[in-house]
Amino acid sequence: MSEPASLACREQFASPEQQRETSTIGMWVFLASEVMMFGGLFTAYTVYRVSHPEAFAIGSAGMDIWLGSINTAVLICSSLTMAFAEESAQAGNQKLLGFFLVATMLIGCLFLGIKFTEYVEHYHEHKAPGFWFNDTSPYARYVQMFFVFYFIMTGLHAIHMIIGICILAGLLYRTFLGTFTSIYHSPVFVGGLYWHFIDIIWIFLYAIFYLPGLHQ
Amino acid sequence: MTEPHVVKKTYVFAWLGLLGLTLANTLIAFLNLGVWSTVIAIGIATIMASIVAGFLMHALYETKVIKIIVAGGVIWFLIMVSLTLNDYVTRGWLPFPGK
Repeated sequence: MSEPASLACREQFASPEQQRETSTIGMWVFLASEVMMFGGLFTAYTVYRVSHPEAFAIGSAGMDIWLGSINTAVLICSSLTMAFAEESAQAGNQKLLGFFLVATMLIGCLFLGIKFTEYVEHYHEHKAPGFWFNDTSPYARYVQMFFVFYFIMTGLHAIHMIIGICILAGLLYRTFLGTFTSIYHSPVFVGGLYWHFIDIIWIFLYAIFYLPGLHQ
Repeated sequence: MTEPHVVKKTYVFAWLGLLGLTLANTLIAFLNLGVWSTVIAIGIATIMASIVAGFLMHALYETKVIKIIVAGGVIWFLIMVSLTLNDYVTRGWLPFPGK
């Protein structure tokens, strides 16, 4: 196993600071490309909502606000435990780092469990788009479109969550190997950036899917 | 550029702020404020996203290059939304078919 000092400054870098900044920039550039990917969906949603506001209000009224709100709080809590994991890595406390990584993964799994419960609810209420979809309002065609956006965007978000949990599992494995020290821990920070980014996406998904139908 | 060192207290305040704003956003959404409902919902979500990016993702503590990349992602997204809506919203403004 490589020494922490050599991991912290590989031969292509002039200093550990340069290596850290390079990996951080790499992750932020990737996240900017993710903004573009989710951005396309957010833009399409906005166009449809501006064109068919009544249908989207009806669609949103069918959301479970309690499960949505609890899930938002759950994800915010996972961001806090991830931030604590980063802080523990920085302090060189491997036990706490492992603990907070496991806590973040478990809270992430809780989020996915709640999301799955919601999907099952939507399915039984005939809100899943396709031949199974059933809506009696005059705007049924565009209410279905609301749910198309809902399932694609929250589904893509859930896929990101699953990838995020896999990344955390990788970080946890390397923590058990003793790779991360107070000198070298940038992978924890970079993984944390990805995790917090998923949180940001959900904050907007919550605002556009759950809130518009509340005052109907 | 050395690594940003954010103290636990800052993370806890950010977390409390995010939970408070989630509650505020949910409660305000029960009021019928017309078009302002959407503006407020997206506005609060934007503040929450800024807190996550600024403190939990350390964007506020990072170098100028990283701040420019963050700003670039946001600005390009806004260009995409505004130019697309510029087309869709203004359709039908002129009394000519197809304009």
